[in-house]
Amino acid sequence: MRNKLTYILMSLVIATAVSVTTMYTAAPISVSLLTTEKTYTAGDRITLSFSKVPNKKPKLYIASSYGTTLLDPEVTETAFLYHVPSLISNKASTVNWKLMLKDNFLTGNFTITPILEVKSMESYLGPPSINAGGDDYTMLTVLPTDSLDNVLPDSTKVAIKRQFKRTFKTDTVLTHNLYSYKLIYSTKQAGRIFTASNCLGIDSKEKDVNVMPDTPVNFKIDVNRLHDYADGNQIAEMYTSQIKDGHNNIVSDGTYVTFYITNKKGYVLKTSGNTINGKATARIIHPDYAEHWQIKAYVEGMAESNTISIDFEQVVADFETQFSKNNREVTIGPIKSYMDQMIPDGLIIELKIYDNQTLVNTFTTATRDGYAAFTLKQVDVPNNTYNITVELAGINKTYTSKTLW
Amino acid sequence: MVTLNKNILRGILILSFVAINALIIFGISALFTYLNTGADRSKMLHTEIQKIDQYLPTMDWAPMANEGRPMDKQTLGELESNYLDAWYVKHVAYNTNLREGIEDFYTESSRENIFNFIDLNKQQGITLEETTLEHHPKLNFFSEDGQLIMLTDNNVKEYKRVYQNKKLVEETIETATYKVLLLLEDGFWRVRHMVKTDATPNHKYHNKQHTKTGTIHGINYYPKNTPWDMFGENFEIDTIQQDFKLIHDAGLNTVRIFVPYEDFGKAKVKDEKLVKLKKVLDAAAKENIKVLITLFDFYGDYSVLDWTLNQRHAETIVKACKDHSALLGWDLKNEPDLDFKSRGKSTVEAWLRTMLELVKTTDPNHPVTIGWAKPVSAPLLKDEVDFVSFHYYEDLNQFENTYTQLKKEIPNKQLVVGEFGMSSYSGLWKPFGSSEEDQANYHKNIQSTFEKYNISYISWTLYDFENIPKEVVGSLPWRKNVQKKFGFIDKNGAKKASFDYISSSGTTEE
Repeated sequence: MRNKLTYILMSLVIATAVSVTTMYTAAPISVSLLTTEKTYTAGDRITLSFSKVPNKKPKLYIASSYGTTLLDPEVTETAFLYHVPSLISNKASTVNWKLMLKDNFLTGNFTITPILEVKSMESYLGPPSINAGGDDYTMLTVLPTDSLDNVLPDSTKVAIKRQFKRTFKTDTVLTHNLYSYKLIYSTKQAGRIFTASNCLGIDSKEKDVNVMPDTPVNFKIDVNRLHDYADGNQIAEMYTSQIKDGHNNIVSDGTYVTFYITNKKGYVLKTSGNTINGKATARIIHPDYAEHWQIKAYVEGMAESNTISIDFEQVVADFETQFSKNNREVTIGPIKSYMDQMIPDGLIIELKIYDNQTLVNTFTTATRDGYAAFTLKQVDVPNNTYNITVELAGINKTYTSKTLW
Repeated sequence: MVTLNKNILRGILILSFVAINALIIFGISALFTYLNTGADRSKMLHTEIQKIDQYLPTMDWAPMANEGRPMDKQTLGELESNYLDAWYVKHVAYNTNLREGIEDFYTESSRENIFNFIDLNKQQGITLEETTLEHHPKLNFFSEDGQLIMLTDNNVKEYKRVYQNKKLVEETIETATYKVLLLLEDGFWRVRHMVKTDATPNHKYHNKQHTKTGTIHGINYYPKNTPWDMFGENFEIDTIQQDFKLIHDAGLNTVRIFVPYEDFGKAKVKDEKLVKLKKVLDAAAKENIKVLITLFDFYGDYSVLDWTLNQRHAETIVKACKDHSALLGWDLKNEPDLDFKSRGKSTVEAWLRTMLELVKTTDPNHPVTIGWAKPVSAPLLKDEVDFVSFHYYEDLNQFENTYTQLKKEIPNKQLVVGEFGMSSYSGLWKPFGSSEEDQANYHKNIQSTFEKYNISYISWTLYDFENIPKEVVGSLPWRKNVQKKFGFIDKNGAKKASFDYISSSGTTEE
């Protein structure tokens, strides 16, 4: 304070002190700005002093970055002193003021610059994960602020540091328009890049970005079967080779792989699996009749596999059918598999009843202990003579002119 | 008899029992219904928030050439909306010295700066009425993750009125440039840093002046059946066309028409209204008469925070009509001096001044005037308007005197009598009113004065009207009935005696 007063008195003595950049309109009462300083640092105590006009106590209109207010002067013997409140003097801004003497406005500006000392480093890193390979990138934005929450002036140096596996790298960027930023490109290898920044000796927090494997490239598939019989019972397991991106990174766990199976008739069966450690497996039950499958897998929209073909051998060669109880009890069996063992339970059997060419009814059941039986009830199949077809494991047998009564 | 009475009594008892029960059940069900309302599931998530236009200063974006992520239209729209809301809540906060709304648009650390100002101003009894009229933002930076934006808002035109202890201390327009850093928080773009980098006080009003527009022989015009609702549902261009022919044949060269503010859609001017307005201009062009368009009819708010909306309204209409050959010029506002008392003279004047500038910048080629209600108001803003117009309903004998006085006061500008006339009403509500003969004499006399000084005039009005909306003169019958009879043509379509004096050249047809 004492310094300020001395300064003011000094400036009084030196000249009538007309500030160069101050504009004022010609008026009867002459008033002038005595303060010559035009630039302050945030946090400074700022007092504007004006030559005194007798019997007046003009207000000072003052506006900074965030708001506007009016100040009353402290009247000394020689000057009007306006103490700029801290809410203005603490914030970096161009401050414009207007001394409000009736018909004699005096206007001017002064600038408050940030303190050249960092208190906190606000840093923002995003996007938080990027693709490996060097094309994708993330951005580290750093806003170094001083103790009064002002952003440091343009061209302040900010060091951007980053670490990946065993390599360290430091770049220097300059703040500009309140911000500074650095684009961080992905590495060939998947992993995690750690970043930090430093400005005027103050360090930021650690921020990290995940470098995720890039999109997968084409891969191979194979199939695993316990046997190649079409027994409708065992499960075939299809699996992929280790799926990788173009930079030899194993694709992320959970990458969805779809297997498309095209059968002899041209129909498509579909099954899928997710990768673990780059490998995906998917399962499908064996068909119950001879088949030829072509299998191809896709990571939809990104990569595909080779095509493999597999064959299933017919296991049921033939079967017997007995009609009893007015031909209403149909017993099928024994149905035998490839080693003449009874076929495992669950083979689907379809029985169709035709009146001449017209389908009257269809019944479905599954085998149990190598046999299957149908009981044709009167409500379903009225008394008449029918052609009866039995179909199982791709084999079709027709029994003509069976009279049900 | 006794049993009958008893039965009646029983009947009444039973009926009243039933009625009371019915009432109770009705009451309970009404209460139940009431308690079940309000929780409308469709509204639970506030999915449909209607945006109200409350703050629309000009946003003149510089071409996008920012660092970082390319800006998309959707984000830019959200940014603009949030950024303007940040200004708006700040204006409101400094006006009321309350903190409401600031949290939504300023981050935790930046809002403190505003709270500090609120506290200081509250303590000092300072309030501000402020608005910004123009922004010229340039997007500098949009971070790759879309969470941080930096923009430079160049030459923000700020209007402020500073009050201390409810007394106006300062009125100012200044231009300032801001660097603004915004963060996306909770789905809002919030101001994190705001730094004023430049400020120029004392805005110079744009004021290109127009030379004389020639002598106006004009009439204020409303169609006979739709007074004060010219562009409403009963808009009939044929009627207007016929009237314009009549006006032209009567020796007049100008009509003054009115564009109602709310009817035209306030800040978002309705297209169908503009189409109608243009049809009117086309009709005038066919008859070779000029149109003086009066803006902001039935508007009377003037509050500083409403200005940006008013400006968008005026801008749209002026832009739509400025190249029309029939356009004579713009009358900013009909009789704004009547609002001095209720809205404050300085507020109204400031409104007129900024609006004048906007109309002039939007349409630099047509003159602008203000239709003052009283001759005493005419010298106000005389340097800003292109010609001065005032309305004269006072003593006819004083007219010449009033005019010459005004001419002395305003020697360099054309003076236009924008409205004058006399009602021929005489009846129950005004027994000693004027007759049609008096009206004719009035026009005869005033026309001779016009001719003497070559004064431009626009008379009130072509027709007697049957219905006067209460917004015009209120609902008092002695006012309404007088207002009905100002026409040169009566309600049956017959020309009154005054019609001979509708123009200084007189009508030639009869």
